[in-house]
Amino acid sequence: MLTLKALSALLGYPTRDLLRAIPAIREGIAAEAALDARARGALEPLLARLETEDLYDLEERYVLLFDRTRAHSLNLFEHVHGESRDRGQAMVDLKALYDGAGFEMASTELPDYLPLFLEYASTLPGEEARALLAEPAHVFEALRDRLARKESPYAAVFAALVALCASAPEASSFEALAEIEETDPNDLAALDRVWEEEEVRFGPGAATAECGVDQLAAKVRQARRPAPGLETPAMMGPRTVFTHSSSTDRA
Amino acid sequence: MSHFLDRLTFFTRKDEAFSGGHGITTREDRGWEDGYRKRWQHDKVVRSTHGVNCTGSCSWKVYVKGGIVTWETQQTDYPRTRPDLPNHEPRGCARGASYSWYLYSANRVKHPLVRGRLLRLWREARAVRTPVAAWASIQQDPAKRRAYTAIRGHGGFVRSTWDEVNEMIAAANAYTVKTYGPDRVFGFSPIPAMSMVSYAAGARYLSLMGGVCMSFYDWYCDLPPSSPQTWGEQTDVPESADWYNSGFLILWGSNVPQTRTPDAHFYTEVRYRGAKSVVICPDYSEASKFADMWVSVKQGTDAALGMAMGHVILKEFHVDRQVPYFVDYAKRYTDMPMLVRLVRQEDGKLVPERFLRASDLDGGMGETNNPEWKTLALDETTGELVVPNGSVGFRWGEKGKWNLEAKRADGAPVDLRLSLAGGEKDVSDGFEDVAFPYFGNIAHEHFVSDAHASVLERRVPVKRIATAEGETLVATVYDLFLANYGVDRGFGGGNVAESFDDDAPYSPAWAEAITGVKRDQIVTVAREFARNAEKTDGRSMIIIGAAMNHWYHMDMNYRSAINMLVMCGCVGQSGGGWSHYVGQEKLRPQSGWAPLAFGLDWGRPPRQQNSTSCFYAHTDQWRYEQLDVSEILSPTAPAGPWDGAIIDYNIRAERMGWLPSAPQLEENPLGIAAKATAAGLSPKDYVAQSLKSGALKMSCEDPDNPKNWPRNLFVWRSNLLGSSGKGHEYFLKHLLGTKHGLLGKDLGEEGKRKSKEVVWRDEAPEGKLDLLVTLDFRMSTTCVYSDIVLPTASWYEKDDLNTSDMHPFIHPLTAAVDPVWESRTDWNIYKGLAAAFSEVAPEVLGVETDVVLTPILHDTPGEIAQPFDVADWKTGAIEPVPGKTMPQVTVVERDYPNLYKRFTALGPLMTKVGNGGKGMAWNTEHEVELLRELNGVVTEEGPTKGLARIETAIDACEVLLMLAPETNGEVAVKAWESLETFTGREHAHLALPKEDEKIRFRDVVAQPRKIISSPIWSGLESEKVCYNACYTNVHELIPWRTLTGRQQLYQDHLWMRAFGEGFCVYRPPIDMKTVHPVKGRGADGAPEIVLNFITPHQKWGIHSTYSDNLMMLTLNRGGPVVWISENDAKKAGLVDNDWIEVYNTNGAISARAVVSQRVKDGMCMMYHAQEKIVNTPGSTLTGQRGGIHNSVTRAVLKPTHMIGGYAQLSYGFNYYGTVGANRDEFVVVRKLAKVDWLDDEPVPAVAAE
Repeated sequence: MLTLKALSALLGYPTRDLLRAIPAIREGIAAEAALDARARGALEPLLARLETEDLYDLEERYVLLFDRTRAHSLNLFEHVHGESRDRGQAMVDLKALYDGAGFEMASTELPDYLPLFLEYASTLPGEEARALLAEPAHVFEALRDRLARKESPYAAVFAALVALCASAPEASSFEALAEIEETDPNDLAALDRVWEEEEVRFGPGAATAECGVDQLAAKVRQARRPAPGLETPAMMGPRTVFTHSSSTDRA
Repeated sequence: MSHFLDRLTFFTRKDEAFSGGHGITTREDRGWEDGYRKRWQHDKVVRSTHGVNCTGSCSWKVYVKGGIVTWETQQTDYPRTRPDLPNHEPRGCARGASYSWYLYSANRVKHPLVRGRLLRLWREARAVRTPVAAWASIQQDPAKRRAYTAIRGHGGFVRSTWDEVNEMIAAANAYTVKTYGPDRVFGFSPIPAMSMVSYAAGARYLSLMGGVCMSFYDWYCDLPPSSPQTWGEQTDVPESADWYNSGFLILWGSNVPQTRTPDAHFYTEVRYRGAKSVVICPDYSEASKFADMWVSVKQGTDAALGMAMGHVILKEFHVDRQVPYFVDYAKRYTDMPMLVRLVRQEDGKLVPERFLRASDLDGGMGETNNPEWKTLALDETTGELVVPNGSVGFRWGEKGKWNLEAKRADGAPVDLRLSLAGGEKDVSDGFEDVAFPYFGNIAHEHFVSDAHASVLERRVPVKRIATAEGETLVATVYDLFLANYGVDRGFGGGNVAESFDDDAPYSPAWAEAITGVKRDQIVTVAREFARNAEKTDGRSMIIIGAAMNHWYHMDMNYRSAINMLVMCGCVGQSGGGWSHYVGQEKLRPQSGWAPLAFGLDWGRPPRQQNSTSCFYAHTDQWRYEQLDVSEILSPTAPAGPWDGAIIDYNIRAERMGWLPSAPQLEENPLGIAAKATAAGLSPKDYVAQSLKSGALKMSCEDPDNPKNWPRNLFVWRSNLLGSSGKGHEYFLKHLLGTKHGLLGKDLGEEGKRKSKEVVWRDEAPEGKLDLLVTLDFRMSTTCVYSDIVLPTASWYEKDDLNTSDMHPFIHPLTAAVDPVWESRTDWNIYKGLAAAFSEVAPEVLGVETDVVLTPILHDTPGEIAQPFDVADWKTGAIEPVPGKTMPQVTVVERDYPNLYKRFTALGPLMTKVGNGGKGMAWNTEHEVELLRELNGVVTEEGPTKGLARIETAIDACEVLLMLAPETNGEVAVKAWESLETFTGREHAHLALPKEDEKIRFRDVVAQPRKIISSPIWSGLESEKVCYNACYTNVHELIPWRTLTGRQQLYQDHLWMRAFGEGFCVYRPPIDMKTVHPVKGRGADGAPEIVLNFITPHQKWGIHSTYSDNLMMLTLNRGGPVVWISENDAKKAGLVDNDWIEVYNTNGAISARAVVSQRVKDGMCMMYHAQEKIVNTPGSTLTGQRGGIHNSVTRAVLKPTHMIGGYAQLSYGFNYYGTVGANRDEFVVVRKLAKVDWLDDEPVPAVAAE
């Protein structure tokens, strides 16, 4: 799907080559018409910016937006696994997926780098590509949401990706990711709630309940609750929908 | 009926129940097991470690799967210990175990980054100019320069390529070398031991250029100056396994389970074999719960506690009853028998002066070699004056008598006398009252002071000696030492404590008032400590921590503890001694590494600068100095103009050749040799004469003159601005020239200027640096403030070596995966820079003659330069003589176009001059030959043809392993033989059994290897003892490298006496005066409290590393926190988790409050070091992001640390010099009314074209 290749390019670091290719990108997306006119129109501010603005400005913005801000990281597993130990295995699985399709990674980027992932998807037949895209759809939706709030024109790329998915992101998945953004950094009371440690209780009655599986799970969730302002979800629990649907499932 | 045929003979049925019906085998699908199988599958396991700032030096297994690092576990294959000693393994902690998650973290630096404004300027200039001219065009236009320096720390990075950044940095370096001199190119990197080749890469690049390597150990204030003062050794300590040999362990300001996690098991294990443990710590630390007795001392008053414990030990084990072992030890291994001159001051009071020297007597006691540097004592039996072997005068200029044999210089046996009074024959000429300074009466708002007089006279037995200058009074150090402790020996006179309940300094009752520790507890700890040492011949140990050393008067804290150890004969004995595990992390193959790191194979000497003085001057902290010299001067100071400001003392020290200078002179050092030739003089004479005439000026006299600014700074393996930069806001304002949170005014604005030597410029410079380059794998606070950020390989992506003082092994870092994204190893980054520099340099530089100024160096024959008085040639009183009364002057040839070739080949000086360390020297021809065969030789034409190659990091590892005695037995034997010529004793047997052992890189990849015993260190690696510092001094009779050759408890240098530290005394913390000017500044009326600001090491990070690791953040509160006590919290109306603001004139911090019972009232703790880049809101006072722990600190220098040219008190890189103390600081704490995350901080737009 050529549109995916185009979106992959748009999410890449702005270079002179990319800037020169904007007309071709615009044309390619329009010609394929995988995106409806509204989605295509939404991309226009970004395309226009890439065409007209100073390259250094574009680069600075890009570095700040994607390289320096964890919440906008283009490495998908940053949003799925954070820094948990599942991340390594997930990358191994994803790499196996590319390998299985006969692709060798030729860049220094990691397997979960979104433009790389999209380039792979662009080589797949339409329906297969849409199915693959649907797996991290909740990440696209979360990134779209965050970028939109920052009024970044890059939000449109993620909106386009969501539109291309075979199925809408599961509401529950998205909510988990969106949750941390709900805290207004200026709302002291809300911040306090996030930071609050649950009271430890001793004595009769407490023991059994505290040690139960549910209680433990609650404690783990609580420990994993991201700190305010830390714009990345640390570990949102085992959200492995995306990773486990790799080569093994397909085979 | 038989069931024979029904029974199966060869099978059982799978579905049969087993275990009495409790077990059953089912046939369900086992595919689910792949889940966990996959979790643990891997393709390979690679050995590596964590390579900068952790003393742990733990070897790890790094698991790699599909080319991706997936997890790590602890290595368990350390060589076994001997029976009855626990093994070292496993070593590692939660921090190390979370490291692999760093590798692919979003905080990783992935590409070379340059501030967009700078890159645009560069590309525009480069399009029409050659590289150096392009850089010059930016620097010479103030508007252009300001365009990028003023937005440091405020984003605007763009990606670049390696070729581009290399050329830009090389051009900046070449421009700086040409315009100002190579001594304006600086590099800061700490703790080489943890990844020595990565350190060496940058140091080699800088040193071949003539650039400046900056020290770290003193700057971190982890260097205990008391160690060089007492032992002439930077720091040497027992390995952690030796804790297991101890019978009594004091943990004093050290938090072993928290900060020495992989070693802590030895501490817990030894308690099971009956060792007793006392923990001295103001707060209830993790270590405190291990204690048999927890001593909660008021922070900053440790010296009072130490003095009182010393008082008890002296009284009970030296005076009331004499322990034969202690007496024998004092005679043979300490300066206690040495004689000190007593002189009368103008007020008629008698004070201890310097050691009596052979040269004081007619004929110099027959000593013709260095009689000024030979100290004297009395023979116990004959009462005769003798020159005992071993003082520094024997070390240089003659051979064979520098040892601790109980002999006099003429070879006759001698038994030195400790006290002039008593014994079989009283040899004293009566008693005199001798004056000692007392500082405990200095009022301090937050510390207890008392009403004792500033000068305390105590009675001491004395002797009259006829010297060449007439009669003089002398006393032994032993008698003066006991008098100083206020121990009553029955001599009469005042200021002694008859009982422990007397309130006389330094009795337990006296200490109780100051320290808050009950006198009974003081007496018990002291008594049991000494009793254990008596029973075990010195197996009492003090594990001492940075908490003690970070105070301004750290030497008093430390010397009070060292004195206890020496009184009880513990230093140099297995299971005993002084264990300071802070910051240095022993670089075991140091002497093999130094030539590689500092380019000693191509040119000597290297430029090395003490960072504390340099940062003090160049971040302009001196302009805000509130400490007046009169506040620290001794009431018994000898006459002299003790005037001026602290920086003036540093300037004098630099002029007199005591401390190094970088930049050294206002003039470019590359131009001086030519001027000397034109004047018909040698460079040495030319520099001396021109300094005298004023034609040449030293840079230190005018640090704010643009000619004297540091211009380029490399930071690698370090987070200078996020972790170790004391006076953070001063760095931002003056060195970087960007937005800052400084709340105070400088002395000019306040009208309080006192300096005499330094040039004062009303307008303080902002933005001294042209270029700040940082190499890191993560976007640290320092990266955020840099102009160029280079992505470096993490610790699982490179080959390197690692050693520690905590265990005796050397083991590697190896590349589990190639450097990710565009990162490169430090070795390859600097190699690439060297190549770019060689390309660019010919535009302005060729083969140049560099005139290098170096201070008078410890462990060189020059260290005995200034035996008596202190004289500054600038006053005209004496002549400037290089290496004697001023810095040494040496000419070094720099081949700039061939810098890369030199970088990648082992230079000819290793064959021509050889190698050495700590005063010893040996031939290395054989090692160089082996390296030629091992690494191959350079075949390309040019100046390096035929030399051994150093292309890869592994080549570099082989160089240092081959050259170091600790990893090459053949070299170890040569080194011991070199020492034999000094001591006249046989030592080579210590290494002969390992002569054929050569440890190579692949060996340590296979398994950590135990290092070989070498005279570079004072402990032994044997199958019989654990490594213990000073072991060879005591057991091989090798002198300590001090003036007396012994453990020196009396410091007789003029400045030591002037500042009251001849003997150890209690000195209360100094008043930093940073709180009152900002009190009441918070306009919202929230109650303010004032607390002492303490910055201990944390549990969730190693300095700032891991403090942005989400795994570690989830184990604590995930952002900056300050711990305060419940009572203080109540006063400030705070509850746990409140946001607070912490500030003083230095700057402000925003953080959460952790309210805890474990914290002592009156202090707060902010763990070092929490990154500004994680969860830090803005400060209402500064308008800037809320600061780091160093935002409220400022370094203050101490004149006694500037002393040089005086045996052990001579400069050495990371050995002696000013240290960055920071614990005397107080802060205002109040509730933060509004949390502003500064999320709307505008992204600065790129400068208009």
